[in-house]
Formats: sequence, C-alpha cells, structure tokens
Amino acid sequence: MVREIPCVQPAGLGSRNGVVMNDPQWIQSAKAGDESAFAELVRRHSAGLHRAVARILADDTEAWDVVQMAFLKAWQKLERYDPRYSFTTWLYRIGTNLAIDLLRSRSSRERAHKAGTEHRLRLVGNGEGAGSRAEGREADEILCQLVGVLTPQQRSAFVLREMEGLETAEVADVLGCSATTVRNHIFQARKALRRELKERFPEYLPASERG
Amino acid sequence: MNCEIFREMIGSYVDETLEEDRRRWFRDHLRECGACRDVAVQEEPSLFFAVAPSPVSDLAAIEDCVAAVTSRIRQDRFERRLRRNRRPWMAAAAAAAMVIGSGLTWRAFTGDDGVKPGPTIEASRGAVSQATPPTVEVEMPGEDVRVYQFATDGDDDTAVYFIVDPALEL
Repeated sequence: MVREIPCVQPAGLGSRNGVVMNDPQWIQSAKAGDESAFAELVRRHSAGLHRAVARILADDTEAWDVVQMAFLKAWQKLERYDPRYSFTTWLYRIGTNLAIDLLRSRSSRERAHKAGTEHRLRLVGNGEGAGSRAEGREADEILCQLVGVLTPQQRSAFVLREMEGLETAEVADVLGCSATTVRNHIFQARKALRRELKERFPEYLPASERG
Repeated sequence: MNCEIFREMIGSYVDETLEEDRRRWFRDHLRECGACRDVAVQEEPSLFFAVAPSPVSDLAAIEDCVAAVTSRIRQDRFERRLRRNRRPWMAAAAAAAMVIGSGLTWRAFTGDDGVKPGPTIEASRGAVSQATPPTVEVEMPGEDVRVYQFATDGDDDTAVYFIVDPALEL
C-alpha cells in the first residue's frame, strides 16, 4: 500500500553481476551480513531521506549526520525489519524519530539562529506571480525561520505530507500515530504558518493578502 | 477547465478530504499553473510551501554518506567481535595479575628486610594496579588490519582499541 518515495536510483531496482535486484532482495542479502548490499540500499534511499530530514531540521549539514545515524541504526536493527512493510517507511520512521529527538534537544534560540544562517537547500523551478516565489529557495528558507512556531511533530507531519507528498497513512506509519492525529498536526501547522506568513512575510503573499 | 476544477478543490485539499489520487492531481496542477498557484496561496497562504521543489540530489554527498555508513558498520562489527573475544583475554590478564601479585607477596615474606605481611600486601596491590594494562593483538579474519586492545582487568565494559592498517605503518 505504501508508495516508494522517489530516489536517485530507479525505484526499487538495482543490479549485481548483471542480475536486476529489488529492495527486498538487497535487504535479504544485507540481513545475511552483506555490507555491499546494505551500501546499495544507502545509495538508493539516502537522498530522499536527507531531503525530508533537512526540511524537518532546517539544517542541510546536520541532516546528513542524522541520515548516517539512521542507516547505522537500520543496519543494527535489520533483523527486526518486517518485509511486509515498505523499507522506505521504516527508514523514514527511524530518521524522523532521530530528527524529532534532535529538534527537542535544541533550544528555540539556537534553532532560530541555525535556521537563519546555515540552511543551504538548493531549489529549482519556474513560474510567475507571488505564489511562484515559493519556487526559489524562499519557501524552504521561510519554513526554516518559522521552525519555532511548530512543534517537532507538527513540523514532521507538515513536511512529510505537504512538501514530500506522502499519503496520510504513510505519514501515520512514519510518525507512529493515527491518521486523525496526522490530520490534526497538519491543521495546526497550517494555522500557525498562515498567521506567521501574514505577520512576518507579507511580501511573499499575493497583493490582496498583504493587508 | 482544469483551472476551474482546481479552484473548486482548494478547500477540500486544505481540509484533507481529497482522495489521494485527486490530491496528487491537485499538487501537480499547483506546480504547473502560475495563475492557479496565486489564487490558491491567496485563499490559503500555507500552500506557499506545497510548491517548494525538491532540491537537486548531490551525488557526491550520497557517495560520502555510503562511505561513512559502511565505515561505521565495519567499526561496529569490530567492536562486537572484540567484545566477544575479550573474555578469554581478560581471564588470561587476571591470571597474569595473580601470578605477579603472588610473586611479590612471596618476595615480601621471604625477603631479609623484615617487612611485616600487612603493609607488604598493600604494596603488592599497589604494584599490580600500577602495572601496564594488558595489551593484546587480535587477528581479524578476513580483514587487512591489526587490532591492539588495551584493557584493565577490573573493568569489563571499558577498553581502548587501536585498529591499525599495516600498510600505513612506517
């Protein structure tokens, strides 16, 4: 039921000695102790995981540390992985939990400082008008500056659902909560972001919204 | 036509009541149509974030991540193996400490300086505790490295390992 999140390699596939292998086969080899099979899983899933964690943490560099920790933890717990579920969701769950722990351990002042000075996500796109300004790096940069107005759970739910495009059920699996709770986090996050955007960044809204 | 449908769906999207396939269509249109994007952000400012594109993947960073994770997995494996191998070495180290301690005690008893047994025992304990911690060299089958382990006999949980690549030795 869970859709694979886009990654650098073709989704779910790779090859060894000319034989095409999918995620479950790489995982099976890794469970048997094959480091190179696990390295292949890292290669295929690290970009997607990093993108989500970087948006949750508002820190590109720190996100790579979390991604590494998440994969190391995944390796250590690989025996517990249930192949009936998506490897991506399992991995996102580990990575998101680490990111949430990290967010909770930071002070709000430190978060605001880091968000304003260190975030370096590169964004691409095109378009015109006020809404189109989100297509530059502005959307990510503004979200980073608003990190303090959202709880770690709200931020994670909003990033996974609204920016990464995961389904509600997937976000619920990742965060270990119900779909209703996810919807509630999204609702609260929208409410806070709407208010903050109007107050602090009216120039990014259409002219009729700036009043 | 699509734009009209899109604009009618904005409220449902925000309320999380759209089915997932319609939601995907909504998001695609939001990215593609600038005019509808302006209308949507005007109606719900938080949609500003829904169109943030995915950052370009950095292939060098991915390979760095693969190398770092692989390296940490190997280190983790070393530590586990060393932990498993450590008990027999600890027994040998404890036996060696007992032999040294016994020797020192015997010397104190048989020496001609007339030292009494009580203080001598304390002295020999001191001598053992000041001795260099046991050092062992562990072969790691299948790995082209040499591992030196430094551990004290009273501590089962702490040890210092030096993992050395012989190719780098002078």
